[in-house]
Amino acid sequence: MLRLRPSAAGGDLGVSLATSAREGSGLPAAAPETMEEAAGLMANLPAGGDRIRIRGGGSHRGIGYPVTSDVVISTSRLDRVVAWEPDDLTVVVEAGVLVAELEQMLASKGQTALLPEQPGTGTVGGAIATATSGWRRHRYGPIRDRVLELTLVSSDGRIVTAGGRVVKNVTGYDIPRLATGSLGAMGLIARVCLKLWPVPQASATVPVESPEEALEVAYRPLAALETREGAAVFLGGTREEVAGQAAALGAEPVPGLNWPSHPSGAVRFSVRTPPSSLRGIVDRLDPAWTYLAQFGVGEVTVAADEVGLGELDELRRRAESLGGALVMLDAPAAVVGAFDPWGTPPPSIEIQRRVVNLFDPGRRINRGILPGRI
Amino acid sequence: MIPSLELEFRDRLGDEQVASDPLDLYVFGKDAGLVRGEPGLVVFPRDTADVATIMRLAGRHGVPVVPRGSGTGLAGGAVTTGPHVLLVTTRMNRIGGVDVENLCVWVQPGVINLDLSIHTTPFGLHYAPDPSSQSVCTIGGNVANNSGGPHCLAEGTTVNHVLAMEMVTPDGDIVTVGGPAPDPIGLDIRGLMVGSEGTLGIVTDVLVNLLPNPPASRTILLAFSEVQHAAATVSGIIANGLIPAALEMMDQPMTVAVERFANAGFPTEAAAVLIAEVTGHPSAVDAEAELVRRLATSHQATLIRIASDEAERKRIWLGRKSAFGAIAQMNPDYYLHDTVVPRTRLVEAIEQTYSISKRHDIPMLNVFHAGDGNLHPLMSFDGSLPGVMERVDAAGKDLIEMCVAIGGSLSGEHGIGMEKRDYMHLVFDEMDLDAQARIREALDPGGRLNPGKIVPQGSRCFDFGRPPPVGTWV
Amino acid sequence: MSWVTRHAPRADELSSCIQCGLCLPSCPTFRLTGLETASPRGRLTAMSAVAAGRPVDSRFEEIMGACLQCRACEVVCPSFVPFGRAMEGARAEIAAQTSGFTRRLRRLVTARLLRSRTAVRLGAVAASIAQSSRLDRLAPRRIRGSLAGMRSLKGRPPSIVGRTRAARGERRGVAALLAGCVMDAWFGDVHTATVELLAAAGWEVVSPRGQTCCGALAAHDGWADDTRKMASVNMAAFRGVDLVVVNSAGCGAHMKEYDHWADGGEELATRVADANDVVAEAIVDGRLPRLSASGDRVAVQDPCHLRHVQRITDQPREILAAAGLTVVEVDPNGGCCGAAGIYSLLEPDMSSRLGSSKAEQVQATGATLVASANPGCEIQLRSYLSELGHEARVAHPVELYWEALQRSERRGAVR
Repeated sequence: MLRLRPSAAGGDLGVSLATSAREGSGLPAAAPETMEEAAGLMANLPAGGDRIRIRGGGSHRGIGYPVTSDVVISTSRLDRVVAWEPDDLTVVVEAGVLVAELEQMLASKGQTALLPEQPGTGTVGGAIATATSGWRRHRYGPIRDRVLELTLVSSDGRIVTAGGRVVKNVTGYDIPRLATGSLGAMGLIARVCLKLWPVPQASATVPVESPEEALEVAYRPLAALETREGAAVFLGGTREEVAGQAAALGAEPVPGLNWPSHPSGAVRFSVRTPPSSLRGIVDRLDPAWTYLAQFGVGEVTVAADEVGLGELDELRRRAESLGGALVMLDAPAAVVGAFDPWGTPPPSIEIQRRVVNLFDPGRRINRGILPGRI
Repeated sequence: MIPSLELEFRDRLGDEQVASDPLDLYVFGKDAGLVRGEPGLVVFPRDTADVATIMRLAGRHGVPVVPRGSGTGLAGGAVTTGPHVLLVTTRMNRIGGVDVENLCVWVQPGVINLDLSIHTTPFGLHYAPDPSSQSVCTIGGNVANNSGGPHCLAEGTTVNHVLAMEMVTPDGDIVTVGGPAPDPIGLDIRGLMVGSEGTLGIVTDVLVNLLPNPPASRTILLAFSEVQHAAATVSGIIANGLIPAALEMMDQPMTVAVERFANAGFPTEAAAVLIAEVTGHPSAVDAEAELVRRLATSHQATLIRIASDEAERKRIWLGRKSAFGAIAQMNPDYYLHDTVVPRTRLVEAIEQTYSISKRHDIPMLNVFHAGDGNLHPLMSFDGSLPGVMERVDAAGKDLIEMCVAIGGSLSGEHGIGMEKRDYMHLVFDEMDLDAQARIREALDPGGRLNPGKIVPQGSRCFDFGRPPPVGTWV
Repeated sequence: MSWVTRHAPRADELSSCIQCGLCLPSCPTFRLTGLETASPRGRLTAMSAVAAGRPVDSRFEEIMGACLQCRACEVVCPSFVPFGRAMEGARAEIAAQTSGFTRRLRRLVTARLLRSRTAVRLGAVAASIAQSSRLDRLAPRRIRGSLAGMRSLKGRPPSIVGRTRAARGERRGVAALLAGCVMDAWFGDVHTATVELLAAAGWEVVSPRGQTCCGALAAHDGWADDTRKMASVNMAAFRGVDLVVVNSAGCGAHMKEYDHWADGGEELATRVADANDVVAEAIVDGRLPRLSASGDRVAVQDPCHLRHVQRITDQPREILAAAGLTVVEVDPNGGCCGAAGIYSLLEPDMSSRLGSSKAEQVQATGATLVASANPGCEIQLRSYLSELGHEARVAHPVELYWEALQRSERRGAVR
């Protein structure tokens, strides 16, 4: 029998600031230790009190529409590394494992899951539920490309696994990819198998003037980032390659990957555009805002203490007209009420709604959090 | 049902876009695999609007639609399971303007994979997935099967290179999923579509990602007297932090067959031949090739040859890509299998493959994408001889069961189709299969698209827990 | 109803296809239509359907009839399916199982008239009159196109049959030149060039009486018994010579496969050589000179039966380079021009699409000189180039080399 405990300190996965503030004041919460416990718990909630919010490490709690819930399920005790096969370049972990701890473990054998480089208290489950990729995606692709197998616990108590623990697979529909970024709406993401990469022999950070020009010179670097403090290209490979590429860039490399920190502020949002349009977006950012732009990828994360809704609207219109989006990551209640966190729903929204409704009958987990208020 | 549907198709699409002669239906009744199933009607849409028309008309008549590209599938994915409408995409073969700034291009599903890379060559770009059938197979078929190829080890399979697609739903609606910007909001329907074998929607346009051609590459041919040494070299390369662009292995019977066919200069006495290719910055490839050489030496390689020029590199790859052809003349029939195991279990998988081959008396030659544990045992036989097909089926089943038993999966890149549909229970339990069926139900509730593929009959069985509370928005 | 003749595609030929589909992109008609039924694999499947009991009906005839018999599919086939052989067998079955005026007319032309030198000469004269009097404008479009592509008869040398030419220099042996049907009537200049170059390379050249049309067009159209007769006649006519030189790619390809058509045919087949092959060999051996570069560019078109059947591609380029010309490629894939024997008359739509696109490829090279080693291709190219308004001369590689050699001998400028 699982005990319901008062909510502990910490953030909530997929919940806006406004609601989480309310919720900190005492929603019942549980931290199941196994997937079976989670299944039993969610399937047996009393009618009328069965709206579920899922909480990971709390680093993405501001994403999506505000959610009203009756109970919080925390993944904090689903924190086992189930299997690590270094020679197969795969690792199976439960959702509550901290990104920082997993990466530290993997680094001991020269491997990485390419999860976010500055994860804070973030969990693996949280990174997957929000589809938050690391900056090295310019070279290695987004996080979706590495979720090989995924287990969901549905609110009616089903434990569903899809994909497989092999690095290449077309066995059945790609539910792992679909669930990556689902914010828990298809079920609690309880366990995943991730594809790993070896950490390159050498790495370096090369300060550059223009990341766009640097990308013309460097052959597929790890990342080309720009902040208010400056821009840098991040290189990885054999010692010869790193030296050669740095020389081509014509700047003095700093050994190692000196990642910048995330922009911080009361309001945080991400603008996504086709890569070549990113400069146009960055140039339009208010000088008072801080940002971190991923050139070659087409995403800029912006933080501000004050934003004008008109400014946001204009940026969103521009991003959407280019085929991109402006997504709110964190905002005070006033902004949440006045500015849609997602923007225009995608054309496939009805398909998405049908998928979610079939995976979470009754829509009990993080209900309404997704675009289209699914 | 079909005669009146045929008249409507002819009326709406034109006679040139419809085939119904019994001989045509016979010819379109098979792909490159072993199963046969004749369609009731064949249609050749020219554009998205045609596809939408086909879906709507077929839907109104309650006739399922099955998409097909060049017909090179090996799992029966494009073979109809009844007198259905076969929708052939080969006439939808336009390549849009190459976006050289964002490295992408829209292509219609009937575009042949290699034609795309040839088209983008002047821009210094290529489309990464390169299945061995790339000179024939279509982008639509690649999307349907999430096709890979030797060079998907470092670059990933089709799903890693599709940014967006336009699709026609079973109801005939045209929907675009994904986009040119990273991380489109909401669920990744685009990712779901890749590998769905035409069961969820008909893809009518695909925005694919292009990669810059590597400025330099080194192709290394290695030979070993023991399969174990080759496998250990593969593991060693990866353990040393190097993921080469390709790591391909052939066993001795395959090497002998290839050499007879292609004269690629492979040593026929070796137990295993390994092809490693490293690509990238000019300052990287020599160091990486040296690493491969050093590791191969430490694992007792009997031959280490780095291709000295483009001609030699091409010859090595021609040899590798001829594996399929080499077996073609041995016997009238072949069965190219496709399974995946964790890379560390490769040696075990190879040994068991040999014993399965022996047990059923069906010759098997092996070619592997060793870097990602993807096995392709090729069975060579004469299906017209009594009892042979039964032995082939039994051997195929044993192969699948063996791979699953050592932690593998059913298919690495050919898809489930009809061939492996009824083996899905080996890797998925009832609830997993039910979830697969829910996906199907969400996108194609009427079962109008490619019925009888991927999901075994009767999978949608679980609805436990309570009924949704009154008033719940479902 | 299945097959009725002994020429039908054999079971082993059909079963050698493993249906992998690698042939599809090499097939010009598949490329144009996107139809499996217009692809080599689809055609073999249709043949298998008949072998299994389906009738030889009008749809089967259409499917087989759309094939150019260019045999590009054989080059890429991993299981070496003898596609051309199977298609000739299927055509033989269609010929045997169908009837009608057109069929009889086709047989009259391909299997009877072409065997008669008099008939071909008369036809040539009639065509020439039609051309010069502009009467050709009254002809159906499909025939008009072919007439437009014909060489003029003015100043053509007489038939080569019965003539001999002594060897010059060190003697290599006796080479017989196939006079051919169309070649002898229209392409006397190519014959002259071939004879002179063979002689210069040390061959005693003959063109024996008693020879006839090689039979390729009859074989392609399914007149198997007539084809066999023609093969036997030629085997007798060419007995005793060291080499049978053929300067029409389609004829040479067919004669190299006489083993299918006559008992003992393989012996003659081994003595058959394409003129490009013999001349290029003489250039490589130094028996014929390499001439200094003129700077003129020549676009090379590979006749399908030279490239895909005889697998000869380097030799014409060798010859043209030795003639001092700069070789430019027309099409790296060597796609068919759509002439394909009488295909241009039977399938005018497909043929004209291929002809136009080939002419556009030639135009894109900018060359005003085009080399083609097959009469049908030459006619097709000339016809579609003129339709495009691209002024270009089309000639046989051997002919171009011979002209260059004569010019340089006059100038005494041999390197």
